[in-house]
Amino acid sequence: MSDSAATLTQDRQKLEMAALSAPAVIFTVAMIAFPVVYTIWLGFQTFSSTGKQSFAGLANYSKLISDYEFWHGLWITIALFVLSLVLQLVFGVWLALVLFHAKRLPGIVRSLFISPFMMPPVVAGMMWLVILDPSLGAANYILQSFGLPPSDWLASPSLVIPTVALIDSWQWTPYVALIVLGGLQSLPTSVYEAAQIDGASAFKTFQRITLPLLLPTIVTAAILRSVDLLRFFDIIYITTQGGPGNASNTLNIYGFRVGFEFFNIGYASALMLTLTAIVFGAVLAFNRLRGAVAW
Amino acid sequence: MNDAANTERWIHRLNTVQLVLAGIIIMAPTVWMVLSSFKPSFEVTAYPPTLVFTPTLENYAELTRTTPFLSYALNSLIVTVGSTALGLLFGIPAAFAVSWTRITWPAILTLAARMAPGTLFLLPWYVMFRQIGMIGSYTALILSHAVITLPIVIWVLLPSFDVIPRSVFEAAQVDGCSFTRILWRIAMPLVASGVAVSAILAFVFSWNYFLFALVLSNGDTKTLIAAAFNFIGEGSTQWGALMAAATLIALPPLVLAALVQRWLVSGLTLGAVKG
Repeated sequence: MSDSAATLTQDRQKLEMAALSAPAVIFTVAMIAFPVVYTIWLGFQTFSSTGKQSFAGLANYSKLISDYEFWHGLWITIALFVLSLVLQLVFGVWLALVLFHAKRLPGIVRSLFISPFMMPPVVAGMMWLVILDPSLGAANYILQSFGLPPSDWLASPSLVIPTVALIDSWQWTPYVALIVLGGLQSLPTSVYEAAQIDGASAFKTFQRITLPLLLPTIVTAAILRSVDLLRFFDIIYITTQGGPGNASNTLNIYGFRVGFEFFNIGYASALMLTLTAIVFGAVLAFNRLRGAVAW
Repeated sequence: MNDAANTERWIHRLNTVQLVLAGIIIMAPTVWMVLSSFKPSFEVTAYPPTLVFTPTLENYAELTRTTPFLSYALNSLIVTVGSTALGLLFGIPAAFAVSWTRITWPAILTLAARMAPGTLFLLPWYVMFRQIGMIGSYTALILSHAVITLPIVIWVLLPSFDVIPRSVFEAAQVDGCSFTRILWRIAMPLVASGVAVSAILAFVFSWNYFLFALVLSNGDTKTLIAAAFNFIGEGSTQWGALMAAATLIALPPLVLAALVQRWLVSGLTLGAVKG
């Protein structure tokens, strides 16, 4: 009797809990899961110039393999990803160490340090567009006043990707630094005391103790940044729209333009599904890595 | 002994120098943007660039005169507030249920959705919203931006719910309270600060989000961020107005972020790091 009453309460509880998460789940299925299934279907369709659609099988995917712009976009995406990630991790760890040794940070200083990544990437693009203007920008003025040659920055096909990586790193290095700082603050102090007794140098201590213990945090930061870096969009779309020529045409920019400028929805779907697979592949790989460096 | 103290002092000084250097690199571009927005038009493009000038509001006046800046701002506000409210409405109960039952897949589902490139959903949304004539509607924009806010609310709130001891709820359960009642009457006051942080973060990231409004808005519902593109198109010689626009667009998220900076790190890493 009391048993069945307990089961009844448990069933009621389960039902109530399901009801509480139902709105979020239904919303996500309606807005994400269903549209993604639709995208997969769209990837097998072609649309004629009159808007008539027909089943195309794997035509969009075989087109992708022979499409020079796809491979170029993939190369640009990977180059931008690697360059930005290395810059942000190296300078992020450096900045975290500096902040860590500063001990007390007033709230206002913290606010200033987070300001780059709290502002819209679009605004970051707007301000750097003005600063990096080849003829009137402040950046070239500073270069020249040090006797260095001016640069074309975003207007140069060979420099546009490093320049975009610099802008993104200006915005997100403080974010990486704050994550790493959190990791530093949670490290056990006992290992440092032992190292001090052994008379280890500051560099040795960093190399042998701090860095290995910090690796899981650094990999976490790498995961969070990778997701954004592989689908890089805002800053490029605001500053160059993929140019000059196609020099900054990342996969996400290319897919967007195929879909919404050339209205080739079927091929754009195939492109975006490929990019999504790359993003999730990278996240899974980094997750493995995090497991390997955990302590 | 004295030597060691000396070395210590030098290390401290060297660290301060590096801190100041980092601060300058981080701050200088933003300061330059704000300064440029207050420069008279003939000085914005002066070369060599000037640091001393008579500040003026002419760029801001120009911006409101030549563009419907205020109605863009209102659109941004409607979409951001709407999507944040929707994120909270769906996210708070979901976070509570995930924390209580330890059934985590609803939370992971929303996060996975956040990791995919936005264009992946934008293509089918565009096709579907066009078919039902919703392109350019606030509803379409708010729904799309709720995809940004929902995972933020859930993942920022999860740790807040997790730290509430079960015993707090058990008394209420014995009294026969439903979970919905327990959530609103007992749990909510305990996680109020977490809700505030999640709401502010959701607001900031919804306000900052560019891609969806670029396609789903029309001339009447265009948000500030999507309109930024037009300011650049029109104003290659009007840097002053462009920088005034950039300054105003960045202002709300920067002010809000300054309010919650203390709690930001754990919130921004979706609980991966305790701040």
